[in-house]
Amino acid sequence: MIFFNSETTWFLDVYILLILGYAILIMSSYLILAYLSTKALRSYLKKNSFVDYEVLLTSEFAPKLSLIAPAYNEGFTIEENVKSLLSLNYNNYEVIVVNDGSKDNSMEILISTYDLVLTEFKVDLKIETKKIRGIYTSKNTAFKKLIVVDKENGGKADALNVGLNIAHNPYVVCIDVDCILDKDALLKLAKPFLESHGKRIIATGGVVRIANQCVIRNGRLVEINIPDVLLPRIQVLEYLRAFLLGRMAWGRLDGLLLISGAFGAFDKEIALLSGGYSTKTVGEDMELVVRMRRYMVENKLPYSVSYIPDPLCWTEAPEDFKIFKKQRSRWMRGTIETLTLHKKMFLNPKYKLLGMLSIPYWTFFEFLAPAIEFTGLIITLLFIFFGFINWHFFLLLVLFVYTFAVFFSVIALFSEEFTYHKYPKQTDFFKLLLAAFIEPVYFHPLTVYAALIGYKEKVMGTKGWGEMTRKGFTKKE
Amino acid sequence: MTKIWDLYRNSHWAEPFLIGSICLFVGLSTVLYLLIIKSRSRKIKQEKLRNDYEQIIVELMYSVVFMDTPFSTLKEEQDYRMLLKNTYFREVLAESVINLHKNYDGVYALKLEHFYKESELINNSLKKLKNHKWEVKCKGITELAEMNITDAFDNIITISKSKNKTLKITAINASIKLVGVKGIIHLTEHPYPIDDWTQLNIINAFKKHDIGDTQGVEYLLESKNTTVVALGLKLIKELKLTQKLHHVEQLTEKAPNTLIQYEAQSVLQALNVNLINE
Repeated sequence: MIFFNSETTWFLDVYILLILGYAILIMSSYLILAYLSTKALRSYLKKNSFVDYEVLLTSEFAPKLSLIAPAYNEGFTIEENVKSLLSLNYNNYEVIVVNDGSKDNSMEILISTYDLVLTEFKVDLKIETKKIRGIYTSKNTAFKKLIVVDKENGGKADALNVGLNIAHNPYVVCIDVDCILDKDALLKLAKPFLESHGKRIIATGGVVRIANQCVIRNGRLVEINIPDVLLPRIQVLEYLRAFLLGRMAWGRLDGLLLISGAFGAFDKEIALLSGGYSTKTVGEDMELVVRMRRYMVENKLPYSVSYIPDPLCWTEAPEDFKIFKKQRSRWMRGTIETLTLHKKMFLNPKYKLLGMLSIPYWTFFEFLAPAIEFTGLIITLLFIFFGFINWHFFLLLVLFVYTFAVFFSVIALFSEEFTYHKYPKQTDFFKLLLAAFIEPVYFHPLTVYAALIGYKEKVMGTKGWGEMTRKGFTKKE
Repeated sequence: MTKIWDLYRNSHWAEPFLIGSICLFVGLSTVLYLLIIKSRSRKIKQEKLRNDYEQIIVELMYSVVFMDTPFSTLKEEQDYRMLLKNTYFREVLAESVINLHKNYDGVYALKLEHFYKESELINNSLKKLKNHKWEVKCKGITELAEMNITDAFDNIITISKSKNKTLKITAINASIKLVGVKGIIHLTEHPYPIDDWTQLNIINAFKKHDIGDTQGVEYLLESKNTTVVALGLKLIKELKLTQKLHHVEQLTEKAPNTLIQYEAQSVLQALNVNLINE
């Protein structure tokens, strides 16, 4: 009847062994990544305390950047968002806002606010895109950095490709127009491009954090708060875990596969040579990084992808389950599409760490994890139904997983406390601590469910992003 | 393998393993939680102490800089005597003196430098140079350079040959502040490539510290290390050193590679424009 006794069938033994082995493997990998991240973070912060970013601010040799901000129906906030993009601490940059066929009055607002006029602009169509209706620049010299492109709707990837075609500068920074950037974000993002000798830095990614309930004034974050609503609050913790304890380690190993679509810089030449953003996937951010890396390996070009752990970009997280489900199912579809498109790299020694570790890790622990968890749930229910379950052991197993999840969240809080300390208020800290206890039983099942929807959508052939309505930042003043 | 399988099939290991792991996770979480709480309360206490010290330091600095009170008199005062033995107070004092020095020139700056030496804060900085941690060395170098301690130059130059990039940049910047071009002449023999970031830092140090005497910058153009040559070219261009035109011209004729030749030509062009504007 029970686990681990002589009457248990061979199948059950193997099943339990695999599940336990998988759980231990995933937990160990998390802990190893957390250890590497903490080490890398400490080293970064030590070095960074002696860095003078003014060097980039005053030099004509600072890398020249083109910010590409695709906008779709952002009329409500576009004026303020563009203003904040134009006032970043950097000199050598231009801002390209790509209006992706918005149905609202985004274009009218941009034209009137920034004194835009239609300009003759020769576009080198290195990447095929949807038709451009017009390119606008400002009559007002105060906005000379701004270029606005009005195009037919083609999705985020298509809008970014238009930006790539138009950008004058050798490095492009792709951002979500509604993100709140740290004033020094570009300085920090540009620095790695100057640092490597012998290896070409093809991309730099920054950390994204949750801005729900934070105070935003004139497009700048002025006060950090932890949301009262549970769903975004747990996402704060989730982002801390992902960025502080996960990506930092992958960055250190130089096996980073994903640079968030909300904020990342790319070497334009390599991005174009790799074919630009793919319009065939909804995970265009991850797919581009994988393709650029693949291009470099296949052409035997030494390269690296850099990662900045400083919180440089703040974004709004979904507050209701419907939107959250859409976002996470899309992320899962993006993962599946990227891994499928680059299946050749899976366990392929030619791609070194990327093929032997990063891609398999994403396959087993990001793509397959929800399926494995769901299968485990079904089998457990069957065990209960057929009376196979040993309740004592089962509860121990549940506690084992639960305490690990809480422990891992506490590591993230510990790491945050000793590094950036962005949540100094006691109430905020306790809100996050409480979230750590709730996360495994409330939030995690939701993410698994949303991922399963992602599988279903992939099987059904669903394409596109779906409408992603945002609530807008709450200005708690 | 059979043994492992038998061991596995025998459930005895599973329960202790799970209970042990649960206890471990709970225990470690509690320890981390307590460490966070301890760190937070320490930060609060330290902040309060720092505020108190800063108030005392403001009075102390006022007496030293504006009232010309000799340090020997101040240190006789009971309150200061005790505080000057306190490590944390000395740390805050050093930071304050250095920050103040950044904002002052002339006689006030000299008074601060004098205080820095008399109060033996200089010894703390010099001790930092011998520390095995690179970040402590960096702090010591920054302090000594800010306070214009030229005696530390030899030590700093030795450190600038370190392989640690941050330490190297800090030491080179300090050398430039202390002795100008002499602080980078040794780079002509530098065996490794100097990346763009380091180069920009060196150029910025020249601009920031307003180094007027640029005699010797042209030696960088003669280096066998092409990144050093590139640095020399960038310096000449950024500082608009039209008097080095002849050296750049020579370089265009015997450049070690096409990239340097191209850069030299571009600098030459920029210098000629500067000359016309002059």
